Amino acid sequence: MNSEPGEDISLCPVCLERIPFHREFEGLEVYQVKQCPEHGSFRTLIWQGPPEFDTWRRPKIPAQLAYTETPVQRGCPFDCGLCPEHRQRTCSAVMDVAHSCDLGCPICYAGASGQGPEPSLELIESWYQALLLSGGGCNIQLSGGEPTIRDDLPDIVAMGRELGFDFIQINTHGLRLARDRAYGRALVDAGLASVFLQFDAVEDTAYRKLRGRPLLKEKLAALEACAALGLGVVLVPTLVRGINLDQVGPILSLAQEHSPFVRAVHFQPMSRFGRYPASLENEKRLTLPELMRAIDQQSEGRFPLASFRPPGCENSLCSFQGNFLLHPDGRVQALSQGHDPACCPAPEPAEQGALRTIARVSRNWAAPASPPELWAAPEPGSCSGPIPLDEFITLARQRTLSVSAMAFQDAWNLDLERVRDCCIHQVAPDGRRVPFCLYNLTSASGQRLYRP
Amino acid sequence: MSMNTENIRPGDLEWTCCNCGRKLEPAPVVVEYLGNEFTAELPRCPSCGLVMITEELALGKMAEVEHILEDK
Repeated sequence: MNSEPGEDISLCPVCLERIPFHREFEGLEVYQVKQCPEHGSFRTLIWQGPPEFDTWRRPKIPAQLAYTETPVQRGCPFDCGLCPEHRQRTCSAVMDVAHSCDLGCPICYAGASGQGPEPSLELIESWYQALLLSGGGCNIQLSGGEPTIRDDLPDIVAMGRELGFDFIQINTHGLRLARDRAYGRALVDAGLASVFLQFDAVEDTAYRKLRGRPLLKEKLAALEACAALGLGVVLVPTLVRGINLDQVGPILSLAQEHSPFVRAVHFQPMSRFGRYPASLENEKRLTLPELMRAIDQQSEGRFPLASFRPPGCENSLCSFQGNFLLHPDGRVQALSQGHDPACCPAPEPAEQGALRTIARVSRNWAAPASPPELWAAPEPGSCSGPIPLDEFITLARQRTLSVSAMAFQDAWNLDLERVRDCCIHQVAPDGRRVPFCLYNLTSASGQRLYRP
Repeated sequence: MSMNTENIRPGDLEWTCCNCGRKLEPAPVVVEYLGNEFTAELPRCPSCGLVMITEELALGKMAEVEHILEDK
């Protein structure tokens, strides 16, 4: 069964012009197929069930944006943004507060050019103000480059908090946190809630391939530093088949061992944008269902496939998510209602999904609200039978682990339906908001759509 | 299984059951929500078993459990 061409729109990976695509189904595999009049045809794996593509649904009623920055002129994806055709509010706003990075990994979507001065505090304040103008109320991720190369990063965090942003996170390789405790303390004192820590493996072979050098020791030191500072940590593995897909289970085990300050694991299959080795260009795509199965298998069923569900905020095809309670006896209990393949869910208002996600992220990705001295693992209780309500609440406040993944889109698999549902918005240098994937999208030759 | 009366205030036990007219008493109750079972000691009619959930409990701990289980 194949879909009809014409309705769905993508881009040509060579010239980045709009072209229609259709989906080809081969058993449980689904491909995006498209043809550019100038540059030929392209066929990219986008789904490899189970779960089956057609069952992975959580339809939304589009949000009506109260404020948009740009009018519709050329049409999506060239009018960001956001423009009135966008269908979801900002859930997480990403701000690049540094151009440079002191690691320069072979694989990274982010810029690391080191060209030009870093954004001034005045410019960064204007980005916060632009977000307030568009309604505010979103979570903030400070990214780059590498944000911790800035000595004044605590000032940037404090500025955001003073302007009313309750949840501020940094996206970092963690090397400075590992070696500079005073810097970490200053970030906490400024109001930092969470660290989005790039963490690809629990062995060094993968770091050598993905990051150019062994980093495990420094990653573990960063984890230790965050624990000492009472900072919530999200482990963020960039997954590449043939390099670190076998690390999914070991990373989840490490996350369990480092609960509660490790609050979540957020997997990101590698996308073809920014920097990535040419040798990986023809590597078979790692899709969300295959990753869900890998999580289930490598965790020996502790995090089962059936406990994951499509997102309530962004487009169903962009991510999966599950919440788990870590019992003191090592048992893992799925808290979220998993995906029901037989069910035809009714459409939910997209904005309500976004508001729930904003609250969930700020609750589940920050350290537990109780003081760190209370974080010691509680005594193992009875494994069987109902759990006392108060015990459940205490445990859930301190010992939950979120497991999620996001499939970023690149020029080969871009689907403008998904783009219009995006809730993760990059703040461009001039203050406009651009869906994250579009901001980072590059053509086959490295031509950028939005990122300067 | 340990029980406590953390979720019962003295005033809660002054209520009488609307069906039987008997005074409510602390009793272990199993609460089920989205496939998960919890125990709590709550005011209950000793005759017909009607349980009183106070506004404080409904908007406090039970709402929190609902958030935990319905996340996202």
